[in-house]
Amino acid sequence: MLAFRAYSWFLSRRLGLALLTLWGLASLVFLMIKLMPGDEAQMAAGADASAAQIEAVRERLGLDAPVIMQYFSFLGRLLRGDLGTSIVTLQPVLADLEKVLPSTLELVFIAMLLNLAVAIPAGIVAAYRQGGVFDATSRITAVMLGGMPAFWLALVLQYVLGSVWRVVPISGQQSYGMASPIVTGAPTLDALMALNFGAFFDALHHIILPAAVLAALFATQIFRTLRASLLGVLRSDFIMAVRAKGATARHMLVRHALPNSLNPVLTLSGTQAGAMIGSAVLVETVFARQGIGAYMFNAVAQKDAFAVLGSVMFIGTVVCLVNLVVDILQLLVDPRIRAAQLGSQGQ
Amino acid sequence: MKTVHPLPDAASVVPVRQPLISVDKLTVDMPLGRSGSSVRIVDGVDFTIGVGERVALVGESGSGKSLTARALMRLDRLAKLSGRVDFDGTDLLKLSDRDMGKLRGSSIAMVFQDPMSFLDPLMTIGDQVAETLRIRGIGKAEARKRALAVLDELGVDRAAERLDAYPHEFSGGMRQRVVLAMALVGEPRLLIADEPTTALDVRVQDQVLDLLDDVSTRRGLAVLFITHDLGVVAGFAERVMVMYSGRIVEDGEVASVFAKPSHPYTQGLIKAVPRIDQDLNTLYAIPGAPPPPLARPSGCPFHPRCDQRFDRCGVDLPALQPVGMSRVACHLLDGKGA
Amino acid sequence: MTAPAIAQPAARRKEGFSAFEIFVFSLVVALLAIAIFGPLLAPDSIYSSDIANSLMPPSAANWFGTDDQGRDVFWRLIVGAQTTLLSAFLVVTLYSLIGVTLATVAAAGPRWLDEALMRVTDIGLALPGMIVALGFAAAMGASLRSAVIAMAITGWPITARMLRGIMRQTMEQPFVAGAQVLGVSKWRLMTKHVLPNSLDVLIVKWAGDIGTTVLVLASLSFIGVGAQPPSAEWGATIASARGYVSTAWWTVVAPGAAVAITSIAFGLLGDIIQVRRDPSLRGN
Repeated sequence: MLAFRAYSWFLSRRLGLALLTLWGLASLVFLMIKLMPGDEAQMAAGADASAAQIEAVRERLGLDAPVIMQYFSFLGRLLRGDLGTSIVTLQPVLADLEKVLPSTLELVFIAMLLNLAVAIPAGIVAAYRQGGVFDATSRITAVMLGGMPAFWLALVLQYVLGSVWRVVPISGQQSYGMASPIVTGAPTLDALMALNFGAFFDALHHIILPAAVLAALFATQIFRTLRASLLGVLRSDFIMAVRAKGATARHMLVRHALPNSLNPVLTLSGTQAGAMIGSAVLVETVFARQGIGAYMFNAVAQKDAFAVLGSVMFIGTVVCLVNLVVDILQLLVDPRIRAAQLGSQGQ
Repeated sequence: MKTVHPLPDAASVVPVRQPLISVDKLTVDMPLGRSGSSVRIVDGVDFTIGVGERVALVGESGSGKSLTARALMRLDRLAKLSGRVDFDGTDLLKLSDRDMGKLRGSSIAMVFQDPMSFLDPLMTIGDQVAETLRIRGIGKAEARKRALAVLDELGVDRAAERLDAYPHEFSGGMRQRVVLAMALVGEPRLLIADEPTTALDVRVQDQVLDLLDDVSTRRGLAVLFITHDLGVVAGFAERVMVMYSGRIVEDGEVASVFAKPSHPYTQGLIKAVPRIDQDLNTLYAIPGAPPPPLARPSGCPFHPRCDQRFDRCGVDLPALQPVGMSRVACHLLDGKGA
Repeated sequence: MTAPAIAQPAARRKEGFSAFEIFVFSLVVALLAIAIFGPLLAPDSIYSSDIANSLMPPSAANWFGTDDQGRDVFWRLIVGAQTTLLSAFLVVTLYSLIGVTLATVAAAGPRWLDEALMRVTDIGLALPGMIVALGFAAAMGASLRSAVIAMAITGWPITARMLRGIMRQTMEQPFVAGAQVLGVSKWRLMTKHVLPNSLDVLIVKWAGDIGTTVLVLASLSFIGVGAQPPSAEWGATIASARGYVSTAWWTVVAPGAAVAITSIAFGLLGDIIQVRRDPSLRGN
């Protein structure tokens, strides 16, 4: 019972914050629309629109009404899923973005796996051998990677690994003729579903470098956080007690030190999942991948204002939802919260 | 439970024990920050503990007693050790990390000061007690059974039900029993107890001491009991070693040291033990504080606080030498001006 | 435990600057000097194109080669340093001002106002900062000015949250309560005691913030909502050289390296200041 109440309290708080954030985001986007210079109806209808078309749009968006009414009708349209219409694709922005979202989620998911798979072992070794050669080199690497612009790293690695050494494809999501029937929109998943393993590895081959670039940005933070947290835990008394039992270094690190230092890393990786979606805009376009980042990039280039602002609204929403899901997942996997729950049940 | 040694007669207790662990010129150096230099915390310590013998190591905080104890198990990763620590004929300081790991928990085990901070908060106590065995490849069910047996032996209430409980669900005294169980489950021959009662309240302290007494007698376990509280020593240990500023200054049978302490520092410590019949206003404390390891005075490190010092004390470091059945490091034994 | 306790005196000892610290300081000073004086020394040729000399590899005449317009890459970087660093300074100063103001109001104001401002800060922290800044910059019309304003109005939440915490702490100290009993006005208390105490923290944060701001600013320019060609701003330079990676790598590598070096140098400066203020962070 207690556990249930603790869970539902936690859930309603997080849900409340997420809704509040979405409302804040919507208000910001409305402010952005109002900040745009020039005639809003003209912008929404496109440069080539006739006077009649512009008037129709003005009518539809209620632009003659007072600003406060416009704000409410804007919120109403958002609730119905209307993010505006792209003047380039002539499609609703939401429909455009939904199509490419799986591709971005796939990129972010693989980047997150790479991020954790590299940063966590590196953090463990660096902390256990504090002051050693590995510690020093990995800390320098983290500082360097953390200061590099992602899009530049992408360009340079694309040139070196893709053009000069030719170990990875230069761009795209799959080789010509390798496309699987679209089910989810994520090439690797679609290939798996079609049981086409050739296409699956081809898609993986295409995604590895973009995902690695995205991961590199975030891995430096995970590395630093885990290392600092682990250094604190390694100094604690119970680690000495574990050593006194005759545990090997590996056993001590994996069974005791790591579980006790993972909490800040879990919290950080939660925020990172959202931030990675935002950073996709820097990577997708360099590698000519589909995705919400690339869509927004193109919208900026083509001065498609409503597509840009619709993307901001959409990406912000996805980030909020991902953060919410990660928060809930954390409650389920975090041993500390679980232990506390078990504790309140046991007594 | 396995190796129950018969208790020797009271008369034969004194010299004829077979040595279990012999420490020879042990030094412990701790690094200073990242500067590369280090400071000597333990400065040439020699002693022997016999099979089944109970020895107390007494000193103020900072005297090096805890680091001496940890050095026997090589627990401080940063400490640089030198000298010899012979256990059952092998020099522990020369063992590989791997072989040393095998000895920890199975031959030498340790109980620590604050039972809460020495338990992993995220692991059930059943798993933590059984871990000593699991590390050695003993099966899960068997390890759990033996963990339960030890917890029962140590009087943990409803141990069977609480194997899957977490440390924060136990009281201080029960936690110390869990920590003791963790140490005993591997059936060690030497137990190092580092101030195991200091963090507990007085009533629980007595319970834990009785338990330790009981268990070590039953198992014929040698105990090195580290404390700053001479009052605790009298009822428990057979021999007492007094440490000051990284050196042993007196070592002898508890009865004779208490009756007739030779070193002025020991005399001060004994005078400072509060007695029930004592007027609170006459409580004694040795004036001053022990020197920090980086600023030890010349000669005998105790001389600035000693009420019996004379010229030589500030110049020569007194060696630990036999005096009857005891050993003492003090110039007074050579006579003044000698 | 014993080990850290013993390590303490060494960490507290007054130390001179290490070789590494001197290196970082000189790097930052050099970058500032380049940003201030560099453009005065630049040859006029970098403002006009010279197609005959386009995409020349690095040589004695053009240290970092030339770009697609035949302009010297090295001198364009020098000129761009001023644009980039000045913009970053402006961004950090502006959002610090917003953060300080909001934090002061929250800390000194009534409970409900504090609560409301902190919820707004929560929202700001939960949103992807770069994407919102991108939206603002795009809405105001893509330009360096738009990007600077957009970053200033989206960058304050972390500063506000941090300062408000410190201000609350300061206000709970006995001397503040004492002064209040003596009838010192709240405004005077805030400006004379609470604020100066927090500015200290702001200064420590400043260097690290410049480092990250340089990165985000370059990103916005690369996406196309910041500085526009022919601006020598580094992000915009990379964006316009993007197509020449395989034919003239130096046009891309040089400005990116400039962003990286600047961001790393200011980031390290921030770390050094922080460790010097709180030696217990050393090694972490």
